[in-house]
Amino acid sequence: MSNDMPDFSNVKGGSSSTATKIYVVVSGDSLSKIAKREYGSAKEWKRIFEANKDILKDPDKIYPRQELKIPPKE
Amino acid sequence: MDTRILCTLLVTAALALAACGKKDEPAPAPAPAPAPSVEPAPTPAPAGIAVSSVTAGSAIGADKKVTVASDSFAPSDTIYVSVDTTGSGTAKLDAKWTYHKGGNVAVVKEDSMTIDTAGPATHEFHVSKPDGWPAGDYQVEVMLDGMSAGSKKLTVK
Repeated sequence: MSNDMPDFSNVKGGSSSTATKIYVVVSGDSLSKIAKREYGSAKEWKRIFEANKDILKDPDKIYPRQELKIPPKE
Repeated sequence: MDTRILCTLLVTAALALAACGKKDEPAPAPAPAPAPSVEPAPTPAPAGIAVSSVTAGSAIGADKKVTVASDSFAPSDTIYVSVDTTGSGTAKLDAKWTYHKGGNVAVVKEDSMTIDTAGPATHEFHVSKPDGWPAGDYQVEVMLDGMSAGSKKLTVK
């Protein structure tokens, strides 16, 4: 980048949808962290767990590369 | 008319009628059943997902749509781009925000989301800069499964 270009390293971004999003778990994730990022509240983890009961048996056990359905924010 | 001729005619007619009655004609074949009508196959829904509109603004509603469309922003604004899609299925949406100055281009932010939808849906990407956006020209390009699906030129004043 040219030196006279502004610094955009502190730009914050995000996304949301009226559709179900598919989130791919990365190392260090937990349902609470994902809920905080997607819904703004870690307490919403149950919504993600409920939407993924077909692949999650224990909310504390998620694995990298798992694809979780993230229901739309209400 | 002569009585004999009359009798002959009557007998002939009676015989003809009798012959017709005796004729053991097969029952008329039933009218052929109409061929089953072949309904045209319903037009399949468009395969996959398509982007129908891309709108920028400084606020969105609960429906993820921009409430007031704009391409001009203040340095303190959060900038939103709302993306309407049609169709169903799974697709990856990307938003690439760039800053343009002279001939140079700087990437401001890139975000992506994978969506799974059964019908029309609206999606949004947003960016903010705690210390304010530098004045100048920006652009956001939206990509659907890696292909450009629309872009918006934005200005910060």
